[in-house]
Amino acid sequence: MRSLIRGRMAWVLAAVAAILVASLGTGRAASPPSEINIGTLYASTGPFAVSSESEYRGLQFWAEGVNKEGGVFVKAFDKKIPVKITAFDDQSSTSTATTLYNQLITQNKVDILVADFGSVLTSVAVPLAAEHHMLLIDPTGSGANFFTQKTDYLAEVSLPASSVWPVPLALFLLDHKIQRVAVIFGSNDFDASQAETLKALLEKGKVSPVYFHAVPTTESNYQVLLHTLAASHPDAVIEFGYAGNDISFLRALASSGLHFDMVFTVFPGQLFDLLIKNVGVKTLSYTLTYPTAPLVTYEKVTNGLNTADFVAAFKKATGRDANFLDVAGYNAGVIIEKMLGTATEFSQLAFHSALMEMSGNTTTLVGDFKINENGAQVGELLPVAQLQPEGRGLKIVVVYPSDKATGKLVNPAPRR
Amino acid sequence: MALLEYAIIGGILYGIFFSLVGVGLNLIFGVLRMINLAHGQFIVLGGFGAWIVYQYLKLNPAFGIVLSIIGAIIIGYPLYWAVVPRLQKSADPEMLSFILFFGLAQMIDAAMILGFGVSQRSVPTETLGAGNIGLLGQTFPDSWWVAAAVAVLAILGLYLFLTRTRLGFATRAVTANRAEALASGIEVDRISLLSFVIGLALAGVAGVFIPFLLGSVSPSLGDGLTTTSFAIIIIGSLGRPIGTVVGGLVFGLGTMLMETYLPSWSDLVPYALLVIIVLVRPSGLLGRAVRQT
Repeated sequence: MRSLIRGRMAWVLAAVAAILVASLGTGRAASPPSEINIGTLYASTGPFAVSSESEYRGLQFWAEGVNKEGGVFVKAFDKKIPVKITAFDDQSSTSTATTLYNQLITQNKVDILVADFGSVLTSVAVPLAAEHHMLLIDPTGSGANFFTQKTDYLAEVSLPASSVWPVPLALFLLDHKIQRVAVIFGSNDFDASQAETLKALLEKGKVSPVYFHAVPTTESNYQVLLHTLAASHPDAVIEFGYAGNDISFLRALASSGLHFDMVFTVFPGQLFDLLIKNVGVKTLSYTLTYPTAPLVTYEKVTNGLNTADFVAAFKKATGRDANFLDVAGYNAGVIIEKMLGTATEFSQLAFHSALMEMSGNTTTLVGDFKINENGAQVGELLPVAQLQPEGRGLKIVVVYPSDKATGKLVNPAPRR
Repeated sequence: MALLEYAIIGGILYGIFFSLVGVGLNLIFGVLRMINLAHGQFIVLGGFGAWIVYQYLKLNPAFGIVLSIIGAIIIGYPLYWAVVPRLQKSADPEMLSFILFFGLAQMIDAAMILGFGVSQRSVPTETLGAGNIGLLGQTFPDSWWVAAAVAVLAILGLYLFLTRTRLGFATRAVTANRAEALASGIEVDRISLLSFVIGLALAGVAGVFIPFLLGSVSPSLGDGLTTTSFAIIIIGSLGRPIGTVVGGLVFGLGTMLMETYLPSWSDLVPYALLVIIVLVRPSGLLGRAVRQT
């Protein structure tokens, strides 16, 4: 009798265990969440606040849009689910960001993790995401150091890796036979990786930079640096910095009395209005930049709004003119939306597989989405454009590559 | 050689300006024995003052100097009475002031973000002169010379105030020994109030030139300016306002020489100098044992 009871109990226990294991394995598929929790950080203060807030605004705009339609379609549950954004303020501080990313993963248990703006604030999220086996959606952290090995936990979605950015620029300089190139750059992943790529490509073309120096990321006084740089008699001056660096650099150049035939900076192509306000039309005239959406437009898209429609809808919803970072934040949402609509399971690895599946056959308002096995964005290449005077303002003229050119380069730039 | 000359002249001009950036902090510390951790935020407010004067009043941003002085009086008087007497009565005013002014700095940052947003704001460089002025064949923008000239005038004014007026004598007496000054009948509270307001005004005046020397002004600059100011006054002499000039010049020359020859390390200058000075000569280059009480 005792052995019979023991035998029955064993069967009952085995059945309970089997049910428990089964429910653990498929629990999420059986009971879809009431909302998709997307965790992210933004900076309301500090050097990255302008860019970070724009990017966050773009993501919010996307979330509001999909929620109006009843949420995002999640293939794993075969239904639409509303989106919730859980966001904390890292105040542009990497140490604060580290704590907050950790909180999003371990306390808030977000379903999808989106990095804050730029390489500096993304740098602390990359190892954390990998450690916790979370896929990090990285809108604009393009530092080349992030993408050195194969990973299932990182995907750069709205910008090419910074090591890819200067490829068209290097080809452009070689194509125009610019022999004396000066490069000044911020000592951070984003700027340094651009500078190193440019240098390597130029050297491959038998051009050695006549000036190649890093400056602190917080550099705000370029007067003496410009004078030192001018002593190398460059034909082209390339400055890789964040928006604040570009403003200080261009203003110092304008007031220094120095003239260079060709000047390149990064952020006029991303934060055009901010640079115009701070630097002025005259100083920006004939300088070169990487133009990004919405300054360059993509009409035919496979997912989300195209560039022109986004600009109009964003203006209507927020009353603001969209800049690139608004676009980047929105684009991150569009990629997440397609990822959820593609992934057959609701798991981080399935999300990554979905992104790899989307790679090469998805076009959004920033161009062709294409990631490699290291998570780097290798599509969405940035052309080279010149800011040319038009009336009382400036127009963006794409000058390289030639198949995308919308006008002719003016070189040397006229003296101010 | 030309590069060295340029770095030295640039360093002197930059250093003179940064003497003005730090001198207000030193005056307040010297007289009140309190560390104004919101000093950088008051400098940034001066920068926004210049921007407002140019953008909305359509005046030359130099009028921001007047606005800064008025602002220092309007903000300084109530702020002093609200916090300083209470702090002075506490057991450890220095440490408490550290915490209190840190909180104040965060509040000012938040208020500036609400008022101005987080974006950089600039004033056209030409408003302080569109040309360049040369010295020994090395030219610098007019705005640099104007900033240095205003800094010299402000520091000279402070020097004359401290060495030629009765209030100045009393201020120095309070700086030397607060208890003895009180015992000898000096109105210590009045002197402290005046020094506090002058300190804020000097910070505001320095701020007027921030958009010209640092390219733009934004709320995020405050903490960095406080740290740099702190390094400068320790290099010069903590508690001796005029010692700030030496600290400023050492900082300016060090920064510009590093930018010329080793630019990626240039932001280490103030902190490396600070560490060296604290180790080798803790009272600063011009210092006496000012912190004895």
